[in-house]
Amino acid sequence: MQMDFSVIIPEIAMVSLGVLVLILGLILPKKSLPRLGWFTSFSLIGILALVVLNWNNVGTVSGGLYLIDQFSQFFKVIFLTAAILVVFGSMAYVDKHLGGQAEYYSILVFSTLGMMVMASANDFITMYLGLELMTISFIVLVCFRRNDSESLEAGMKYVLLAGISSAVLLYGLSLIYGIAGTVLVVEVGMILAVQQSLPLLLVGVVMLVAGLGFKIAAVPFHMWAPDVYQGAPTPITSFLAVGSKMASFAILIRIFVLGMFGVSLSWGILMAILAGVTIIIGNLVAIPQTNIKRLMAYSGIAQAGYILVGMVTASQAGVKAIMFYGFIYIFAVVGVFTAISYYYNLTGSDEIKDYAGLSQRSPLMAATMVVSMLTMAGIPPFAGFVGKFYLFMTVVENYLWLAIIGLIMSMVSVYYYLMVVLVMYRDRPQDSSPIVVSLPVRMTLIFTMLVSVVLGVYPGPLSEIINKAALSFFMH
Amino acid sequence: MLPMFDGIDWLGVFFYILSAVIVVSALLVVFSKNIVHSVLWLVISFIAVAGIFITLNADFLALIQVMVYAGAICIMVVLGIMLIKRDDMNKTNMFNSQLYFGGAVALMVTFLTGFASYKINYSGNPPMVPENSVESIATLLLSKYVIPFEVVALLLTVTLVGAIYIAREVKADADS
Amino acid sequence: MKSLPFLTIILLAPAICAIIMAFIPKEQVNPIKWLAATGTFISLAMSAYLYGVYDTAAGGLQFVERVPWIKDLGVSYFLAVDGISLPMLLLTNMIGFSAVFASWNLESRHREFFILLCLLISGVMGTFIAHDIFIFLLFYEVVVIPIYIMVIIWGSSKRVTKEYAGMKLTIYLLVGSAFLLVGIIALFVKSIPILGEPNMSFAALAQAGNQMSAFDQKWLFALMLIGFGSLISMWPFHSWSPDGYAGAPTAVSMIHAGVLKKIGGYGLIKIALFSLPLGAKFWAPYMAALGIAGVAYAAFAALAQKDLKYIVGYSSVSHMGYVMLAIGTVNVIGINGAVANMFAHGVMAALFFSAIGVIYEKTKTRWIPDLGGLARQMPLLAVSFMLAAFASLGLPGLIGFIPEFTIFIAGFKAFGGFAVIAIGGIVITALYALRAGANTLFGPPREEYNNLRDIRGAELVPLAVLGLVLIAGGLLPSLLFDMVNSGVEPLMNQLDNALKIGGLI
Repeated sequence: MQMDFSVIIPEIAMVSLGVLVLILGLILPKKSLPRLGWFTSFSLIGILALVVLNWNNVGTVSGGLYLIDQFSQFFKVIFLTAAILVVFGSMAYVDKHLGGQAEYYSILVFSTLGMMVMASANDFITMYLGLELMTISFIVLVCFRRNDSESLEAGMKYVLLAGISSAVLLYGLSLIYGIAGTVLVVEVGMILAVQQSLPLLLVGVVMLVAGLGFKIAAVPFHMWAPDVYQGAPTPITSFLAVGSKMASFAILIRIFVLGMFGVSLSWGILMAILAGVTIIIGNLVAIPQTNIKRLMAYSGIAQAGYILVGMVTASQAGVKAIMFYGFIYIFAVVGVFTAISYYYNLTGSDEIKDYAGLSQRSPLMAATMVVSMLTMAGIPPFAGFVGKFYLFMTVVENYLWLAIIGLIMSMVSVYYYLMVVLVMYRDRPQDSSPIVVSLPVRMTLIFTMLVSVVLGVYPGPLSEIINKAALSFFMH
Repeated sequence: MLPMFDGIDWLGVFFYILSAVIVVSALLVVFSKNIVHSVLWLVISFIAVAGIFITLNADFLALIQVMVYAGAICIMVVLGIMLIKRDDMNKTNMFNSQLYFGGAVALMVTFLTGFASYKINYSGNPPMVPENSVESIATLLLSKYVIPFEVVALLLTVTLVGAIYIAREVKADADS
Repeated sequence: MKSLPFLTIILLAPAICAIIMAFIPKEQVNPIKWLAATGTFISLAMSAYLYGVYDTAAGGLQFVERVPWIKDLGVSYFLAVDGISLPMLLLTNMIGFSAVFASWNLESRHREFFILLCLLISGVMGTFIAHDIFIFLLFYEVVVIPIYIMVIIWGSSKRVTKEYAGMKLTIYLLVGSAFLLVGIIALFVKSIPILGEPNMSFAALAQAGNQMSAFDQKWLFALMLIGFGSLISMWPFHSWSPDGYAGAPTAVSMIHAGVLKKIGGYGLIKIALFSLPLGAKFWAPYMAALGIAGVAYAAFAALAQKDLKYIVGYSSVSHMGYVMLAIGTVNVIGINGAVANMFAHGVMAALFFSAIGVIYEKTKTRWIPDLGGLARQMPLLAVSFMLAAFASLGLPGLIGFIPEFTIFIAGFKAFGGFAVIAIGGIVITALYALRAGANTLFGPPREEYNNLRDIRGAELVPLAVLGLVLIAGGLLPSLLFDMVNSGVEPLMNQLDNALKIGGLI
């Protein structure tokens, strides 16, 4: 069987990088281990460049099981960008709190690879294995502070709930397989398009939604998120919030919009309700939080709700909106969490009240947090506004109530973001010495902030690219 | 293929016997007070699943099922139990307090899926199972399914590295 | 001459100064202040120049700058001014420039303050000159966050804490804007099949909106009315306004009461009214009724206040009631009056707040019973206070008179006897404005204030700029009205046509 491996060069490069980092960790002297962070990040930049250069090099591998289209290319860009930013943002944290650089970076690379496999998978088996590769890597990363019982507890919770959700997902997939008789998503789509709506299909859909709902932390499958987010090492939290969520959305789109397009009426309303509930609960529960990581966890739940809005209509506009929002969401999340983890490095605290006077100690960190949070809230002129505009445009015609709920709740979300702003800007710091921000962290902060502003004011080119990518998704 | 004689569908009979064994032993896994007994019931359940694979002519899968699940995994569980000491073995299987709620949900899900599966008309003829399934599985794994196969390999690597890293002894000079 | 992108320069001058300020060490207070003054002055001078050279005979959009921006949404970077937006632009810059000087004696954290102030001014300007609804929205909410930060840092806690005031202000406006956003997105989505392509310019949306069914127009207008109405402090969505102004620092109160509120009226006229004429027709009586209720309620509430800022806060709610009433008439005179009254009230409210700011800064109180006889110690301050008070009660010869008179004429024409209630509001306005002035400025001078020195130097700028406009606008009302009319009349003619067609259907 002849295969064109040139289209999966980025994946092959990722495998090599992961193994190489692991080996380098064994042969390098201990004092030069911190340099592995730089090595990983620059290699990842190279792989990102590979993906971008191969933008139009599309095709399928293994008889249609593995699909490289612009849709998957775009998601790979998302994952790699997030990984690069997370590596940059985590160097100081890893060196100070974790150690084990080789294992850390190589598992991070492998989890990114899992996401890339998910984005390209066109059959249930590959999809599921990509998901597991990502999840298991995350389990290890969540427990990485292995001397800290909180981190281990978070890891344990993640193991159990990830296991349950995987089982539910797998069961749902097997039911769909039972109906369609094939694991290829495209073929499933063709078979279901001519099928009547079956009760078994509905059971399968519910299980898939539940299984993937866990991964994207949609209400009512969100309980794990705050505990895991809080206990995990902070850079991992941000990667979990962006990478894991967007990768799960990639397969959610693949399975539902492509595989169950014909029966979209039966799950559209389900998604709409799920999105509405997730937005409301996520935002309301975020209000009383006092720990910044828990706050961000609930806000992340609400964000999952917004992104779900794009699923409701199963349209090209919706897919495009999800991709656009996902892209800007990386920068917002990574911006906030980089600041959080750097601040934790200095003060050892994640409590919101300890952020008092941050704006006077480090205007850059405070400004990045404000910009990123407002991006998540969807306040213009930051990028989140454009993203929400695209998302809610798709539902305003048929699900007006969802648009109203979503937009009102996003304004409510400003309330809890502003409580953080209040502490950072109004109060005087207890220790007023200025904070010197290290180079990689400063790069990450400035870059994420700039992206949020520039894409908010001038989203045109990105939006064109994503339009094409979303179009390629429907070309099969 | 099992012979069919005396007008009895022996395949069906075996299926129902094995299914009954699976269900009963799975229930006993949950309800046993002693966790070691639970593990033993789990072994029974796994072996019965292997039996089902045999009735489907999937002899390679049946072999794997026995080796990996009934063998390796259950031994791992027993090892895990050994490492965690409990005074009274009869209180080792911590049972969820929400028996009735959980039971009701489980029954409902069972009923719904059962009903939905009953309603569906499984059409289409499954392809014939080749005589030598090991060989064709091997060919498939390394040709059509090579990407998932490689992903599994990486998955195992990550699991190993991660497990070793987390469980590794904390050195005295590490931060306490 | 037309090649120069005037509007972009006006828009960006303060913002660029803000960016430069970020790189000046924070101890360098004077360069920062002067940079802020320079930025706002450039904008003020250029917008005054545009006001002078705008061709009122030709009317319509002038100084157009249009660049395609987001293709798939049909957004273009579309800046232009007409007879409605140009007065608002000028107003913004006058108040912005004065606000810089009203904050001259700020005590702490200068750099942050002036950066936020300049960004705020740029944001407000943007809403008035954007003629693409997407760009309008970008600016619409950009103003909210700087205001919040400014209130919580430099605000004052009296009856309500500054944290409460800031949060109330912010959340009220944001939740209102959520309704507005839904309305605008729905209008846009519905316009695509009508126009055949996505296009977000005001004109295209108006064209599409005019062809929508009466039912669609009604609910879309209702959503926008909630959004814009809460920004213009339409009764009963007004309660953020007095509290917010009381908590805010002087410059923020000036800008907020002076121009930011006007974005609500401006949007209601330029977007909601002209895009959805049938909706406007349907809701007009309700708007007028809410307007009259606002006038009456807020005037009485102002009467009961003892804190100077609350008086002006309620007074501004009351004045915005006139604007709502005027918009509710849906005729040329009424809309002219509404725009002119927004301009007039902007000038007087800003002057009022700057005078109160000075009083508070010097005496450390805004509580009327603790004040008195300040006219002896600070005569120039008394001049600016009384100018604002007289303008507010509509004294002929000052800027407030003609617009209010116009509104009454339009109100009578449209609603007859109901408008009398609004005129009754004027009497109460006179009562509270004069009483506040009398109790604060006149009467026996108090000894504890003897050592206060009068406003001088930079503090005189608000009086000079705004006071001049107050008088000039009163003596030469045609300066303002010709401009406004050139913008309103052609649009209203289109609207009348649309209504006639709609009436036939």
